[in-house]
Amino acid sequence: MKTRATMLLSAIFLLLGATVTYAQQARYTVSGYVKDKQNGESLIGISVGKPGTSIGTVTNQYGFYSITLPAGEQELQFSYIGYGNFKTTIKLQKNTTLDVKLEASSSQLNEITIKGDKQEKAINTINTSINRLDIAQMKAMPTFMGEVDVLRAIQTLPGVATVGEGASGFNVRGGNSDENLILLDEAPVYNSTHMLGFFSVFNPDAVKSLNLIKGGFPAEYGGRTSSVLDIRMKDGNNQKLALNGGIGNIFSRLSLEAPIVKDKSSFIVAARRSYIDVLMKPFVKGDMKDTKLNFYDLTAKANYKFNSNNTLFLSGYFGRDVFGFGKDVNMNWGNATATLRWNHVFTNKLFLNLTSYYSKYDYSLQFSNGSKKSETEPSQSYDWTSNIINYGLKPSFTYYINSANTLRFGVQGIYYTFKPGTGIGTEGDDQHIKTIPDKHALESAVYVDHEYKPNKHFGIQYGVRFSNYQTLGSGTEYYYADTTPGIRKRLIGQKDFGAGEKMTAYSYIEPRASIRYAFNDLHAVKVAFSRTSQFMHQLSNTASPTPLDIWTPSSNNVAPMVSNQYTVGYFFNAPNDSYELSGEVFYKTTDNQLDYIDNANLQLNPQIEADLLPSQGRAYGVELYAKKDIGNTTGWISYTLSRTERKTPGISMNEWFLNRYDRTHNVNIVVSHTFTKRISASANWVFASGTPATFADNRLEFQDWDIPYNSTEKRNNYRLSPYNRLDLSMTLKGKQLKRWKGEWVFSLYNVYARRNAYTVYFRQNPDNPDVKEAVRFSIIGTIVPGITYNFKF
Amino acid sequence: MKKFLFYISLIIAGAFTACEDPIDLNVPVGQSYPVLDGWITNEKGVQKIRITMSVPYTQQDPAPVVNDAKITLHDLTSGESYPFNYNNGYYTYDASAKAIGVIGHVYKLHLEYKGEILEGLDTLKRTTPIDSITYEYKSKEESISGKEGYYARFYAKDPAGAVDYYWIRSYRNDTTTRLEDAFSVDAGFDEGIYDGNTFILPIQQSITDYDKPFQLGEKIIVRIKSLSKPSYDFLTQVNEQVNAGGLFAKVLENVKSNMQNTTANGKVKMLGRFGTSAVSRAEVTVK
Repeated sequence: MKTRATMLLSAIFLLLGATVTYAQQARYTVSGYVKDKQNGESLIGISVGKPGTSIGTVTNQYGFYSITLPAGEQELQFSYIGYGNFKTTIKLQKNTTLDVKLEASSSQLNEITIKGDKQEKAINTINTSINRLDIAQMKAMPTFMGEVDVLRAIQTLPGVATVGEGASGFNVRGGNSDENLILLDEAPVYNSTHMLGFFSVFNPDAVKSLNLIKGGFPAEYGGRTSSVLDIRMKDGNNQKLALNGGIGNIFSRLSLEAPIVKDKSSFIVAARRSYIDVLMKPFVKGDMKDTKLNFYDLTAKANYKFNSNNTLFLSGYFGRDVFGFGKDVNMNWGNATATLRWNHVFTNKLFLNLTSYYSKYDYSLQFSNGSKKSETEPSQSYDWTSNIINYGLKPSFTYYINSANTLRFGVQGIYYTFKPGTGIGTEGDDQHIKTIPDKHALESAVYVDHEYKPNKHFGIQYGVRFSNYQTLGSGTEYYYADTTPGIRKRLIGQKDFGAGEKMTAYSYIEPRASIRYAFNDLHAVKVAFSRTSQFMHQLSNTASPTPLDIWTPSSNNVAPMVSNQYTVGYFFNAPNDSYELSGEVFYKTTDNQLDYIDNANLQLNPQIEADLLPSQGRAYGVELYAKKDIGNTTGWISYTLSRTERKTPGISMNEWFLNRYDRTHNVNIVVSHTFTKRISASANWVFASGTPATFADNRLEFQDWDIPYNSTEKRNNYRLSPYNRLDLSMTLKGKQLKRWKGEWVFSLYNVYARRNAYTVYFRQNPDNPDVKEAVRFSIIGTIVPGITYNFKF
Repeated sequence: MKKFLFYISLIIAGAFTACEDPIDLNVPVGQSYPVLDGWITNEKGVQKIRITMSVPYTQQDPAPVVNDAKITLHDLTSGESYPFNYNNGYYTYDASAKAIGVIGHVYKLHLEYKGEILEGLDTLKRTTPIDSITYEYKSKEESISGKEGYYARFYAKDPAGAVDYYWIRSYRNDTTTRLEDAFSVDAGFDEGIYDGNTFILPIQQSITDYDKPFQLGEKIIVRIKSLSKPSYDFLTQVNEQVNAGGLFAKVLENVKSNMQNTTANGKVKMLGRFGTSAVSRAEVTVK
């Protein structure tokens, strides 16, 4: 394995050497940061180029760019949709630092056309299968109950599906929901939704942009097999104090951002809280009294620019969902993340971002008989907690060798602690504790990635990632006998390991490559291959993951998931940038996706691995995407035709069966129109084939029950009826007072009140148990209106 | 514990106007299998076993009865045998004089059907007495479900030592139709945590149908049946399958029978289960 790695690395450096030698006339590098003039936010993905040539680059995730040009007078142009064009001429006689402030276009109404090279356009990037959304685009879409939502926004993109509204998680290119790496300022987020799936945990007031990578993964990313959702938080206004907020019918938001030292340092603090339970309070009594049903989150970030070469960022998130019935039952769960980052510019050509992070997801359930017990009864309580904690360190370097070559390399390390569950029961003075021992693991990676753009037509980005995974003591390895697939495995031995002792290890070489060939300014084709591995698995055997579904690490019994994905795409950019089109085809195979034996016990079970089954997965499809960014009417249409299946020994007669999240057709149409300066409206229409389901063809009369039974033994052998929904929204901007800007957002979700099936199940009618029926369960059964008042100060 | 999550999802779903509509499904008729419903207890009186043929799920008529099987129950611990004879829909044995079930004994159900022999085993475990049943009136506003009526609780204590599995079933007025089912391990939801303790609150409260609480004059009946671990696994799976609605619905799984066909090259596949329980019972009338 080592020799293969060495060979690959030497190949990379050979190629680099070749390109470096041929580029040896007098050349200098211009580098710097690009920021928004009004609020000082660093701008991601801004095109920086020499007008009239193919020479150009884009700013990275921190707003940094570096471009190398021949000595002498050079014109540089900075451009991005929604911002004016900035042109400057510099006399290049040495390496130069040039920080640029761009001004957002004053009026949304004026058609914004950008001349010159548009490096950030899909046709011009080498990577395929990436979708980028700005917060402004997300804000223009219709909302659910008046709230802008990051996860709902990405579900309108091609290749992204969900099992239904209210389902936590999403499925990318036929992957399971635990195969998405969701990063908030680079810290992984384990539960991305509030209220069991209805709202995402990301506060739109604190989000700057997101990138969704579905395939052709750059070598920098790893640890999940299906997608990377990279969410970047705002830096905070470093020019003046700004207050943003919104009052809606479910929750309210407030954020404050301000400079600490103008131009150098700023912060943002954003908070949200839902208040159904507070509003309900005066109207409930008895068992409903003290009912808690709320969520809140706090997002904060601060940055400090020491000098043009050093910037420090500290960001954090804390969110919680709280549920309780009376005083006796309490449940809560949530994520906490913290990220510390240091941007360092070594030279005009070498950029370092060093990220260290902490991420924790935990839940706790408690109940007691405190308020309900009679005098003679002993007091009882129960407390169940579980968590997962990560510590990560990630230095990543970008070396801007010359205008044709960029090298990215770095290492990553993540230390995991899993606390699968501790249950504590007390009665009077008597206490019993059941603990599933903690598990520990170390995931590390080294990567190198070379981007080579010799000319206008051709570009390649290729690299390799070496992933290593090691479970560490203290812990116990269990050994199970081979058995008939599909039934619980029998324990035949176990071995204890001391603290820090090495247990099971896995390592993988993951090659990645993307190639672009542009025929001209209008047409380009791209191909990509990537291999990814994943060492974490969320154990869930319900229709959609619950907040109580624990994550478990790969072990001697659970092999890591390994996925190979092939992508081919065609990209078209219309003259004058009036619209863009793309079509992509993907094929993906995944080994060791987890499935479960029937009646698996996934909670507080030390022998949990005896109930897990490895399966093989495959997914393939076509994604079409048309997008219009400029003009009074903007929006996109996406269509996905795909299939996702798996094969698990012991399930569904050992044949391939459709995944629960398979959607043959998936259409999304998002349209926004600006009528006047003050009035805009948008619409969103969704159509998706119904999800597969297993239906009963028999019932067994047993002990006064009617048990549904599927005599075909085939899983997911039917489909629910197709899903479709129309949403509308209208925004009314108030008159702009001195600094106060207000707007009303009216939204209608599920306009034609369709009862989309989430599941179909079989039951005895509760009013008449003799009647046996199939029941369609719809999560949203009618039209849902929403009103929000947003303000800015 | 998932039960709580289920309640929460109901409340949230309610807030978002979730709804359930009976629908017609066009599911082709599947293969029909014989289904054994054989649960033997330590109670005195007539003990019944039933065999029916499975029918399409939404067929409303009762399943057709299989009347041509021969059934004998063997107490493997004591060596006694009990022949069950077909009579009016059931295979019965009159245990009025002396109960069949003895705690700690292992039982084998021996069944001859279509010339083949099927057998199943279970162990009869200890149960625990019900100390009392109480009830409390709640108005529409006071109840979580918004239904006015009497909400009941039962009190019982798990004997210390050994892991005990229980099936708690409640009834309204008489035991002909079930009302609610709950399952417990050692008085709680997981083994060991409440060993030797009083059944915990969520289990105490599990005997009321929250959509139709008890009314004045109605009789509340509770039976606690002991279970072996395999029977507990089977019944909790059944319970999940018959309550599969909601946001976190379990996917449909087939419950596995413990009836093994012991005939060489036997073809008969029998579903259902043979199980044994010790039973404790209590009742109270709402006054």
